[in-house]
Amino acid sequence: MEEIIDRALEYASKNGKFAEVRYFSSERNSILMKNGTLSASGVSKDSGIGIRIINESIAFGAINSREWVKIKEEIDNLIRKSKHTGRHSFSNEEPIKDEWEVGQKIKISDISFEEKIKRLKEIDSILQNENMGMRIISLNDNVEDEILINSEGTQIKSKLPKLGFMFFMGYMENGSYEQGYFQLGYAGGYEALDEWRLEEVMKHESSVLKNAVKAKKIEEGKYDLIIGPEVSGIVAHESAGHPTESDRIIGREMAQAGESFIKKDDRGKKVGSEIVNLVDDPTIEHSFGYYKYDRDGVKARKRYLYKNGVINEFLSNRESAGRLGLKSNGASRSSEWDKEPLVRMSTTYIEPGDYEFEEMTEDVKDGIYMKSFTEWNIDDIRFNEKYVGREAYHIKNGEIREVIKRPVIETTTINFYSSMDAIGKDLEFVAGTCGKGDPMQGVDVWMGGPHVRLRGIYVR
Amino acid sequence: MDIEKMYNKVSRKVDQAAVKITRIKIDQVRFSNNEIDINNSWDVEDASIFLAKNGRTFMFNLKNENDLDNLLDLSVKALSNIEKNDDFISLNDKKQKYRKRKENNEKIINFDGSEYVNKFLDEIRPFVKRAGGVLYKKEISNEIMTPFNNGEDSINGIEFVARAFNDYDNPAQVSFMTSSDNDLIKLDDAKDELLELSKKVGKTVEGKDGRYKVIFHPLCFASIASYTIPMASAFQVDSGMSLFAGRMGQKIGSSLFTLYDDPADDTMIGARIMDDEGTSTKKTAVIEKGIVKNYLHNNSTAKKYNTESTGNAGIINPSPWQINVEAGNEDIGDMISSTKKGLFIVNTWYTRFQDYREGVFSTIPRDGIFYIENGEIRESWGGIRISDSLLNIFKNIEGMSKETKKVKWWDETLPTRSPYVEVEGVNISRSK
Repeated sequence: MEEIIDRALEYASKNGKFAEVRYFSSERNSILMKNGTLSASGVSKDSGIGIRIINESIAFGAINSREWVKIKEEIDNLIRKSKHTGRHSFSNEEPIKDEWEVGQKIKISDISFEEKIKRLKEIDSILQNENMGMRIISLNDNVEDEILINSEGTQIKSKLPKLGFMFFMGYMENGSYEQGYFQLGYAGGYEALDEWRLEEVMKHESSVLKNAVKAKKIEEGKYDLIIGPEVSGIVAHESAGHPTESDRIIGREMAQAGESFIKKDDRGKKVGSEIVNLVDDPTIEHSFGYYKYDRDGVKARKRYLYKNGVINEFLSNRESAGRLGLKSNGASRSSEWDKEPLVRMSTTYIEPGDYEFEEMTEDVKDGIYMKSFTEWNIDDIRFNEKYVGREAYHIKNGEIREVIKRPVIETTTINFYSSMDAIGKDLEFVAGTCGKGDPMQGVDVWMGGPHVRLRGIYVR
Repeated sequence: MDIEKMYNKVSRKVDQAAVKITRIKIDQVRFSNNEIDINNSWDVEDASIFLAKNGRTFMFNLKNENDLDNLLDLSVKALSNIEKNDDFISLNDKKQKYRKRKENNEKIINFDGSEYVNKFLDEIRPFVKRAGGVLYKKEISNEIMTPFNNGEDSINGIEFVARAFNDYDNPAQVSFMTSSDNDLIKLDDAKDELLELSKKVGKTVEGKDGRYKVIFHPLCFASIASYTIPMASAFQVDSGMSLFAGRMGQKIGSSLFTLYDDPADDTMIGARIMDDEGTSTKKTAVIEKGIVKNYLHNNSTAKKYNTESTGNAGIINPSPWQINVEAGNEDIGDMISSTKKGLFIVNTWYTRFQDYREGVFSTIPRDGIFYIENGEIRESWGGIRISDSLLNIFKNIEGMSKETKKVKWWDETLPTRSPYVEVEGVNISRSK
């Protein structure tokens, strides 16, 4: 394979100001159970070559043929297209030569399909014993091998193993219904399955739905609000990560996922209280969105999106950084080999502060503790957002009291971050699949944060 | 890849096998702020292989034929060790007769996407501040082989989406999709509609919460329908987490509301002549005159529900091909002029559910939210959310237009033909 991609790069480089060839191969095992039945199990081997050429514009092509004639034909097609007028900025970056791999304590290749099914059945039986009548659960693993070479001398080889678990379940009692969804992900091997403590998680999530079906709505009005790490995570992802993606800021996604309330000259503008620090960091070991170098071959690093309550840094790839006259900070990702790299998040979180949970609750007279969420959405400039509680409690005079049914927050990004007055010491992450691009690209991410207290939030 | 060679190799090892080979050739032009950003192209072949033996099932996919032997060995080994799959009974063993596709696509095949986008931008530039979008030219072919049936199908089509921002930097959006040369002229209609909407959007004011009559533009209602119809998959119904679970034969909507899965409309890009297990496809009413009429079935789910396959395999999870919301008799102009107080909403995105059983959801309107008073558009709104349930929306449908549009947008909207839809009492919420 290396011979073919070298030949492809050599040919493309002769006719392009910049050329890049990426070979990608992945093997994914998937198991899905529905209400106790092994509905689907399978393996998918994906492989192909992605080629990007820049002349007067950018052209990207995906081909899975190994025949040189067809590859050459595709390169000729891309050269022709790249000579059409269009945008062609790309930031200047140092070429990299490296190899990297994420280690696995328990190798994916050492676990048989039967063993994976057995483990998933055990998880399902916990939910069944908890009388969760409606349930879809899945377990999948994936090993991605990639070679990236470009005309500037970059040569990066990588191996990235990953494990993912998802449940979606519903519970009905006396005609009342509640549902829950939860996703975990890990870069590494099957050691994650034990680290996730799924028995405990499943039992807890079952009790959440059982309590919620009997719960009542809280009276509409303003409350102090404490959010759990899962809610911190979705807030960080939706209203700090997305709006600081530089391709959104310059309008590249205008007809799809939209733009941003942040404009290109807004660095330094206030978005929240001084304690607010928002981070995106692809280098956290074993995180679901981990990478050492991004899809453009730029070294990954931690980025402060909001620092001390002000907009600090935009996420960028070489294309968007080039258009903004900046250096890339290594946020270029694509979901598969056959998709153009875009500006994407990795692990986005609210940076922990110094509060214990009890310190946050003790001076809340009448408040709500929203530990996790169900329905959520945000507008296409990432400003008006909604979060509906899955696990939520009333706080009265500093004490956690009764369960509340689906409390609803509809607020703005600025109001949310400006209302934060205490940030916990803890830090937890959940996994997610972040959607963006056209065609849609779902990339693996972590989202997280600590418990956070907000004052005077309107809740329905 | 050679389907016969592949099928012969895999079928020897199992009781039943289905092989599907998909070939795509796609050219895409993406543009933003009045300039082309990138030309993307795909030339990709994928094989999807389903195996069943002794009630057990396993699937594998590959993009390189050289991986077949290795993956087959792995799959056969897995098949002998895993437990039975109660969701699978059999592939469809009835010999199928496939309809002949009505092809009219010579102009589409020769369509030059870059040239069109440049022309579009030249024409629209004087009237809007900035525009972006995407144009796809697609050629998709499928071959299916099972022990009982085999067939070939291919479709060519164009998809175009454009969003324009006016002088106040407020957006409007249009979508166009076809697989018929006859429709290509409507690309210009989409451009004209975008200019008209962009002007109409003007300067926005913050919207107000409350219950309103809402006139849904076809693009907006297509999105609602796109989130509804997958829940009619018998697999989803079986899981229990579906609006359709336990509601077969029940009236869940107004008598004006009929919702089809319609793979037989060859003028749309989602048309198919056969499903993934070789069953011939057909138009299926999921909701007819407000009543739940059919779930979407493959052969196995159909047997479980004592009915016939609707030709919607996914061998495990049936899925819709493309949507048709039945048109009515009204005129969009009359719908607006007869509205005392209401909204006309062009598009929506980010639809999420807190309750799939009752269809409780919210979604965020965009690209034109018009407040109507005494039959006239008075204001252009921003910052609102539809927070309601599908059941409430379907029950309160009071009008459907004669005119329909064929749309598809990004990941939000399946290929859909929809009229303008008038719904009374839709709950609108906003940030506080």
